Amino acid sequence: MIDIPTSGKASASSELGRSLEASSGRIFSRKARLSFYNRTFRIVCIASAVFVCVILFSILFLMGRTGVLTFETVSVKDFFFSTEWVPENDQYGAFIFIFGTFALTLLTMVISVPLSVIIAVFLSEMTPGWLKTALRPILDLLVGIPSVVYGFLGLTVLIPMLRTVTGTNMGDGILAAAIVLTIMVLPTISRITDDSIVAVPRKYRDASYALGSTRFQTIVKVVLPAARSGIMYAVILGMARAIGETMAVVMVIGNTPQLADALFKPTSVLTSNIVMQIANVPFDSTWNYALYLMGFILLIISLLMIVIVRLLQGRGVKA
Amino acid sequence: MKRKWLKGMALTLMALAVAFGSVSSAGAASKLSGRIVVNGSSALLPLTLQAANEFKKLNPKVRISASAAGSITGPQSVRKGIADIGAVDWDATKDVPGFKKFDGQVAHKVAVIPFAAVINSGVGVNNLTTAQLQGIFSGKITNWKDVGGSDADIIVVNRAFGSGTRVNFQMKALAGKDFMTKGSNYKEVKSSGDMKTAIETTPNAIGYIDLVYVTSKMKAVKINNVAATEANVINGSYKVWGYGYYMTKGQPTGATKAFIEYVQSKKFQTGSLKKLKFIPISAMK
Repeated sequence: MIDIPTSGKASASSELGRSLEASSGRIFSRKARLSFYNRTFRIVCIASAVFVCVILFSILFLMGRTGVLTFETVSVKDFFFSTEWVPENDQYGAFIFIFGTFALTLLTMVISVPLSVIIAVFLSEMTPGWLKTALRPILDLLVGIPSVVYGFLGLTVLIPMLRTVTGTNMGDGILAAAIVLTIMVLPTISRITDDSIVAVPRKYRDASYALGSTRFQTIVKVVLPAARSGIMYAVILGMARAIGETMAVVMVIGNTPQLADALFKPTSVLTSNIVMQIANVPFDSTWNYALYLMGFILLIISLLMIVIVRLLQGRGVKA
Repeated sequence: MKRKWLKGMALTLMALAVAFGSVSSAGAASKLSGRIVVNGSSALLPLTLQAANEFKKLNPKVRISASAAGSITGPQSVRKGIADIGAVDWDATKDVPGFKKFDGQVAHKVAVIPFAAVINSGVGVNNLTTAQLQGIFSGKITNWKDVGGSDADIIVVNRAFGSGTRVNFQMKALAGKDFMTKGSNYKEVKSSGDMKTAIETTPNAIGYIDLVYVTSKMKAVKINNVAATEANVINGSYKVWGYGYYMTKGQPTGATKAFIEYVQSKKFQTGSLKKLKFIPISAMK
């Protein structure tokens, strides 16, 4: 036990020093034990960090190594630029899926980012306090809903709705998937944007109002630019979630290997194609390797996004 | 020092293994023990789980673990030695469209699974011939009016390649003819459950599913004027059905053999299997 006398800080630290020196009758002195604990804790922390890195890199390595085997039978050009995905006839063109993934993510962002930013501005700038405390937990809860639930609602509610509204035959396609994904990433993007807007110092707003700006001018010209790096961070987190999402997408996208050149045309993306086929593929086959390679491409895309997030965090407006 | 300790450990383990091995082989005559891993078809999973429960009550020393990831994983897991029994919806000792045969494996029939071509209940068609089904699923017939329905585009829902239901439907209902692979009115779904939802909620849709999944919100069409019922499967007039198989590496032994025999036994076939809406293998000639 460390006994801290009430007389003052200086005497407390000298007391602590003496208690470190004093042997308490055990084999090791208190000082030796403390430094042993400190060093052990340090080693445990470093080991954990190294462990995580090892896991990440071994996943990358194994996926990459298995994926690269694809190129034993399929040429790089065919894999990345051919639109013929007919594994039954040894045709492995993944362009459809790579294109579909980017198209879907882009469409999702086009719908979700403006909506999320408006929600965030409303939450942070216009809502009275009691409503804020009610709305924020609701948005946080939305993040936790399993994606398969979103997918099922998309399949049973959204798609019949799209069908009646637009008069198409099926309704499956990237628009349906983008709407489902938008609902999924809205809470993520709007909550992080909300936080970054709240973090903008009050003096910026005060200065803007003092110059005679309206509330709209203040928000659009001052607050949003000041929170830009936080908003970018939110957008990229949302994108990463949209790119990797599988269960919800597979239920509404139609899963047909054809190019997504229309909003209502059953198509396929990297994630949905992997999950549709991986269970039914012979273990050591080009088909299996091609699916691994597609997974590897997805991983690389997410890693790139994380790198971009880091770069953006480095820059950005600092208060 | 450390080396010695490891060596001792290894020796102990080996001794233990030998001891346990001899115990289990000696005890096989009186009481079965061991571990059975079943993998493969999701259609057969309910049957496997039910049988495992009953079998474990009779033989408490046997541990059975069953999982399902799709028909083709059954014989593949057996070949790789991951599973003792591979459940599959077709006879994997023979070539089927898209899949090569698995050499050195033995197929054991365990159940009869009927399949039905199903359409959304809004479609005014009750009967389709084999030729019409071939035309629809290969994408040559695209409007319901060509097969006696109203003027509406046909939406084809297919299972993904590798599904046992798909293999059986292709062999029996389409007489081996190929499916279409793309088109703006064509989509693929991952499981029987997704197929059910898709057919129920999509107007003008056609698909196919295990007979037990057919609900009141969809319609099982007659094929060549024969209704898809269990009675018609048994009397031989309805042709779209397949056997469910358990694949083993060579002839099974010990607990695995006893388990397969239990599933094939009259007690299980006419009892629990029938309750799960499969058809006993003995009902077919």
